[in-house]
Amino acid sequence: MIDVFTESVIRHPDRPALVHHGRVLSYRRLHELANTLAGRLGDRPGVVAVAATRTPETVVGLLGVLASGGAYCPVDPAFPFERQQAMVKAAGCRTMLAADSGPATRLGLVPVGLGPFAELPANPAELAPTGNSPSHRAGPPAPPDNPRLPAPGRTAAGAEDPAYILFTSGSTGRPKPVVTPRRAVSATVHSLRGLFGLTPEDRVLQFASLNWDTCFEEILPALTTGAALVLDAEAHSGSFPRFLRMVERERITVLDLPTAFWHELVLHLAEGGPGLPACVRLLVIGGEAASPARLADWSALDTGRIRLVNTYGCTETTLITHAVDLHGPGAPSPGREWDGRTNAPIGRALPHVVQRISEQGELIIGGPAVALGYLGLPEATADRFTLLGGERWFRTGDRVSSSPDGVLTHRGRLDGEVKIRGIRVDPGEVEAHLSGHPWIQAAAVVAATLAGRSALVAYVVPRPHARTEALDTEVLAYLRGRVPGHLVPSRITVVPELVLTASGKVDRAGSHRRHTPPEQVKGDLR
Amino acid sequence: MSVDTTTSAGSDGAPDSLGTDADAEALVAVFRRVLENPAAGVDSDFFLLGGDSLIATRVLSAIARGHGVELSFEDFLLAPTPRGLAGKIAAAR
Repeated sequence: MIDVFTESVIRHPDRPALVHHGRVLSYRRLHELANTLAGRLGDRPGVVAVAATRTPETVVGLLGVLASGGAYCPVDPAFPFERQQAMVKAAGCRTMLAADSGPATRLGLVPVGLGPFAELPANPAELAPTGNSPSHRAGPPAPPDNPRLPAPGRTAAGAEDPAYILFTSGSTGRPKPVVTPRRAVSATVHSLRGLFGLTPEDRVLQFASLNWDTCFEEILPALTTGAALVLDAEAHSGSFPRFLRMVERERITVLDLPTAFWHELVLHLAEGGPGLPACVRLLVIGGEAASPARLADWSALDTGRIRLVNTYGCTETTLITHAVDLHGPGAPSPGREWDGRTNAPIGRALPHVVQRISEQGELIIGGPAVALGYLGLPEATADRFTLLGGERWFRTGDRVSSSPDGVLTHRGRLDGEVKIRGIRVDPGEVEAHLSGHPWIQAAAVVAATLAGRSALVAYVVPRPHARTEALDTEVLAYLRGRVPGHLVPSRITVVPELVLTASGKVDRAGSHRRHTPPEQVKGDLR
Repeated sequence: MSVDTTTSAGSDGAPDSLGTDADAEALVAVFRRVLENPAAGVDSDFFLLGGDSLIATRVLSAIARGHGVELSFEDFLLAPTPRGLAGKIAAAR
């Protein structure tokens, strides 16, 4: 991965690699900064926690950690402190990269400084391509505290060494670290460059949080092609007029958006006003099922020039394993109008992906994309990563059907896992946290369609003699202090009892049906 | 969108406080529609009624169309009620 990045540096030293609010970091400068950081981290620093924010510094941090032979482990500074503690403990971090030493010290880790790179040249014109001349004028010299500029690949991290550690939802309430090896990232990013048809002329918006794996779909294919990665706060302003003007101003050609956000964008576009700027050629979506209604809205808009690509993948199988063009010039019938009833397929396997579909219809993924497992959790690992014919495979838990041309369609889950704003949530994890509240005896959590999007709904039974007035607000505040936002239910209802199955287990769907006004029981219950 | 018609009449040329009240009332309608919750009032907190950053964009789009003011998600977090947002609209005009 780092070697391919270095090739981009050699081929395009003066092209813009990172663009942040008009400030530009060239490939050469990014390479220098990443190597300086790698030198500061030392050889093989192990799992490095990174206080990940949407800044060029964090991208430098990612590349620096990879170049040093370490593993990147993003820790969202906005997460509750308890969660951050649980994450760095589960991942076995010793070192933390952050702008200042505060976060590392609070978490009991060794701090390593990360930027800011105040010396970024402000004038993009200075960075216009200058052919193959070994120009030194655009990048200032390396900081004086850097005694050596180690050559990339000096540690020759192995293909099975971890590239990053990310967390997925587990029923115990503790974050579940997924270890992704370098060969999985290399194989996937190679496929993604092809899927996206990237060239050095592309300008890719960095939209995803640098705490989730989707960000690597944006960062790594772009930076291993010679394309520009654009970071801009207006992408997250919540205002679509501002978002669209930013896309036009920054001449963004590739957008990779969570499907839930794309749904909102389509709602906005369908109400009139300026459409997507003409510079956009590719829009990648993923994270949850594309809404048939929004797909129909999209295909009725003036969007025929834009490739709309649906994608599917799990953290355990590295970014994206399946993709398909739903609309636009890459689709089998480009002008197709979606009818508002047909479910969008999740796609066919990318070139590096090996797949099987079990008798129950479960999608099972093999090949280089399969992660190493859940760190420190051998039972959970054995439960999902299985050996078939001497090879390791990952059981996705997703039921699929296949069309004759190999395009898969999602047919539901084999377990209770749900997607909230594109993030996988085990309802058991939320129930475990709810039951940790001293006044709560039992809890059931389901995903329901509320206000047109998938949201978590919780039913809680108070302990005898617990104060029940305002218990819902109290529990909401309690959760917000302990878990990330995607694990906080949109609605908490205090109920006298939950519905149980014949075997005495909590019946989540049954509890939801009993305690919800009939007109609100709609959408998927999984 | 219904906001367009209800607000332009109320705020057009009216004194500031009256304009703000009319904006707040219009935003109550937006909250009720977006949250699918008829109980929302002028002082209801969007995030306590189950709103999140995702559907907050619908409220911000409604404000941009109906009031010609492009508020951000940060403005929304600082003033998550119809009354508070009406104040932000007045300040931005």
